[in-house]
Amino acid sequence: MSPTEATSDFEAVSETSLSKRERYRQTLDEQVLAPLRIVWSDWRARIALFVLSIFLLMGTVGVMLVPEPSPNQGPALVGAFRTLEHPFGTTYSGHSILSQLVHATPPMLKMITAGAVFTVVLGTAIGTVSGYKGGAVDGVLMTLTDVALTIPGLPLIIVLAGALQGSLSGNPYVIGLLLSVNAWAGLARAIRSQVLTLRDAEYVEASRILGVPTAEIISKDIVPNLMPYVTMNFVQQARAVIFGSVALYFIGILPYDSVNWGVMMNSAQSQAGAVSSPEAFHWLLVPMLAVVLLSLGLTLFAQAADRLFNPRVRARHTKTTPDEQHEDDEPDEPTPARMIR
Amino acid sequence: MNYIVKRTAQAVFTVFAVITLSFVIIRLLPGGPADYLRAQLIQRSGGSLTQEQINQRIASQTNIAVDEPLYVQYVDYMASILRGDFGTSVWYSNEPVIAVLGPAIPWTVFLMATSLFIAFVLGVTLGAFMAYREGSGFDVGSTGVSLLTNSVPYYVIALLLLTFLGYRMELFPTGGQYASETTPGLNLEFVLSALHHGALPILSLVLASFGGWALNMRGNSIRVLGEDYLRVARLRGLPERRIALRYVGRNAILPMYTGLLIAIGFMFGGSIILEEIFAYPGVGYYMIQAINARDYPVMMGAFILITVAVTIGVFIADVTYGWIDPRAEGGGTRESY
Amino acid sequence: MATTERLTATESTADTILRVRDATVSFEMDRGTARVLNGVDLDVKRREILGVVGESGSGKSMLASAMLDAVEEPGRLTGEIIYYPEEGEPVDVLNLSKAELKRLRWEEISMVFQGALSSFNPTMSVRGHFTETLRAHDADVEAGMERARELLSDLYLDPERVLDSYPHELSGGMSQRALIALSLVLEPNVLVMDEPTAALDLLMQRSILALLSDLQEKYDLTVVFITHDLPLVAGLADRLAVMYAFELVERGPAAELIRDAAHPYTRALLKAVPNLDAPLSTMRSIEGSAPDPVNIPDGCSYASRCPLADDQCLREDPGGYGAGPEHPVSCHHWRRADEAVPFETEVGE
Ligand SMILES: Nc1ncnc2c1ncn2[C@@H]1O[C@H](COP(=O)(O)OP(=O)(O)OP(=O)(O)O)[C@@H](O)[C@H]1O
Ligand code: SF4
Ligand SMILES: [Mg+2]
Repeated sequence: MSPTEATSDFEAVSETSLSKRERYRQTLDEQVLAPLRIVWSDWRARIALFVLSIFLLMGTVGVMLVPEPSPNQGPALVGAFRTLEHPFGTTYSGHSILSQLVHATPPMLKMITAGAVFTVVLGTAIGTVSGYKGGAVDGVLMTLTDVALTIPGLPLIIVLAGALQGSLSGNPYVIGLLLSVNAWAGLARAIRSQVLTLRDAEYVEASRILGVPTAEIISKDIVPNLMPYVTMNFVQQARAVIFGSVALYFIGILPYDSVNWGVMMNSAQSQAGAVSSPEAFHWLLVPMLAVVLLSLGLTLFAQAADRLFNPRVRARHTKTTPDEQHEDDEPDEPTPARMIR
Repeated sequence: MNYIVKRTAQAVFTVFAVITLSFVIIRLLPGGPADYLRAQLIQRSGGSLTQEQINQRIASQTNIAVDEPLYVQYVDYMASILRGDFGTSVWYSNEPVIAVLGPAIPWTVFLMATSLFIAFVLGVTLGAFMAYREGSGFDVGSTGVSLLTNSVPYYVIALLLLTFLGYRMELFPTGGQYASETTPGLNLEFVLSALHHGALPILSLVLASFGGWALNMRGNSIRVLGEDYLRVARLRGLPERRIALRYVGRNAILPMYTGLLIAIGFMFGGSIILEEIFAYPGVGYYMIQAINARDYPVMMGAFILITVAVTIGVFIADVTYGWIDPRAEGGGTRESY
Repeated sequence: MATTERLTATESTADTILRVRDATVSFEMDRGTARVLNGVDLDVKRREILGVVGESGSGKSMLASAMLDAVEEPGRLTGEIIYYPEEGEPVDVLNLSKAELKRLRWEEISMVFQGALSSFNPTMSVRGHFTETLRAHDADVEAGMERARELLSDLYLDPERVLDSYPHELSGGMSQRALIALSLVLEPNVLVMDEPTAALDLLMQRSILALLSDLQEKYDLTVVFITHDLPLVAGLADRLAVMYAFELVERGPAAELIRDAAHPYTRALLKAVPNLDAPLSTMRSIEGSAPDPVNIPDGCSYASRCPLADDQCLREDPGGYGAGPEHPVSCHHWRRADEAVPFETEVGE
């Protein structure tokens, strides 16, 4: 073996290992660092993460620090920002509004999670199966989807809540599911049309020819391409659950087993006429602000996530792939985030 | 044509499915209306009613003859709903449901149609201007405002408006559809009074939803402004006004038509909460009243009416879409959503 | 050969219809100023077909836009572009008022863009595009539509059917031809075509080219035909101009340029095509890559890929050499190019 050959062999080896490491680095860059960079580069994302962390902290650490709400924690109807002891004021029966606000957070988070997860799982499953299987399965599922899509969500939820008055429990997870009863339909439609375009993509075709089982093709090849839709709908449904639950608690047609922002608003109105009497207005205002803040956080998060999934923006932030386009990015591509209402 | 036939069949099927669903809710839900009514009747009568009499009462209220076989109950129920017979109210001294809800329908449609129209026109106009001035202070400011208002639920806006404009400043009435001293009909006084009473609910929905339309329109317009055909149109020397309307406007608004379909359902859902807040006797208002009074026939009637209204609205929007967008032959407008 | 006949014909009436001098397009970017068209000089002769060839990204579309003063923001076009109408005063294209520019575009100089389908408003019938153009230029709509129908028939389209169609209802070849008709509806003298056939299949490309040559004769057109496909224009064009890295490196009569290409880049292009009748979808088969428009190197921009490159090439901008009376070339060593980049196949046969 001549020394030159040895060198070239060595070179070959080091080259492959380097390119492997390179590839690893690139994967890391694309999968982890690029998203983080995008998040960091976007003010909306920073605000969103800040706001969402506040609520997460409130729901975890907050409940341990702030005492549970109870009657006569203070005098009745102390205004907001008057005393340090009751920064958000008190209710008609002397509950601290801060206590109520904080202790209402964990059920809200549970409700959101249950509703959003349910929507996303069901929507993805139905859309994927429908698009992938086609034929009669597709026909039946899409007919169902169209019906679910047309029936207005809130009236259906209200009717179900009304009809189940006797048997429905106030368990936040159950309420979360109830509030998402037909929200999966929009996602299922979107996923289905994505799957239809993906189904005939070459690499999927190839796996099928190689005899990879359907379930594996779905989970490995198809699902990753659907992530943008899934994320968007998750956020969207989270917002819908907040809006819906607070509204229905406020008008008093959902059962509850713990304090809730909507229930606070209901009590403010029914016990102290907060709308017409200024001295009780803070009781109504504070939970409303919480709703607005949380939903703003989610809106901004959706906007930032939209950028995350926009391939053009993403390419600019992935440093190991050469950036070809010097043009300005345009975060306003038609994307699922558009559907946020 | 084929598409219209298909869409019509779909709409009919949806109505059919909704009636089926409400049958299931009334009859089969454990602890649902049928069970509840029975328990009520037994309790109230203190056992003086026979089983047969109870069944008869339930049948007259809900259109469901509980002692018949299930499929007969179902067919009867379907038939009476299709005849416009929604049963009789429990709360409003056994009036037919349709007599309770019928007069409320136009009011709800008035609120919803007006808000939807104003919010859409306002949002689209604002969004187009934002796109034309992309990056300017006006654009950034409007984007911020749109994002913010889009994050505020309509009922929060409604409560704020009611508190400040209704109670504190007393600029607007805090309940009702029109002043009692006016006589309903086509007279100026009545129309003005109706507008005065509808203003706050409409304003709440408009404020809560124009931002979404604006952001949507802005994005679409910016996309269209970057299209090749726009550049070619400019080189062909077309007047700027024609480009703005026939090129940017039309191509940016068309994709939003889909959103309009969804908004119809969203608006009707919202009407329930809003009518409750503003004590505005529309369909939603009676629906909540009925729930609180456990007046299931009215509740289900309201549900069916609202759903059918939404189905018709979506149907009209869907069919007209094929007519205003040359590419939409064969439909599938909701595919892209 | 048909080409030579037409060549002699153009030479006899040779006068310039469009004169481009030092045309430069620059973009201000974070990294510095990008020059995506760098001091291009070019004369377009009346009633000729001029082929402009270059690889993707070499600045062909920029040159095309420059001829109508249609470079898009934030690009900045400098230099001089003079249009010489058959009668009347020369027109300084870059110093026109809005109204004058509107008249120049489409009435004197017209353009067919890359990608026909995206040039039409998707929600307007083809007829709408014709009538609105006529109206915008205060032309007689009736007469204009008559002309449109004639143009469409000349292009082997069924006029009424096409006019009543929406863009998405036309095939690629049909919409491309409809676009050509639209560009000619106001009887322009010059037609600039930017890769008009790029998205079409081979047969359609060839038939559109054949139609184009008929149109050119029938309507006395001057055509600037831009493409990355040298063999495609070789048979059509009277003259060729070769673009590399935002500059024109060689231009001359088509036959001469193909027979005796003087620039190493042109020779490499031709060498990459074994047979001139074969299609060439891309010219990236030449090794190396074009320079960055922000840092255009001193000296010859082709030096990094050129087998003849030496110190002089790196130092001095090659310019102003003549490989023939009508055949300028930007290469210090053009005389040695044929040895350094020989053709393996006989092109002349
Ligand atoms: N808005 C812009 N900002 C900066 N650079 C640009 C912009 N638009 C185009 N360029 C650059 O200008 C150069 C020339 O572009 P041009 O479109 O003229 O190329 P081309 O020869 O027509 O290529 P193709 O065959 O791909 O159409 C390219 O390198 C491109 O990256
Ligand atoms: S000037 Fe020099 S580097 Fe440039 S093409 Fe000629 S020989 Fe090659
Ligand atoms: Mg180009």
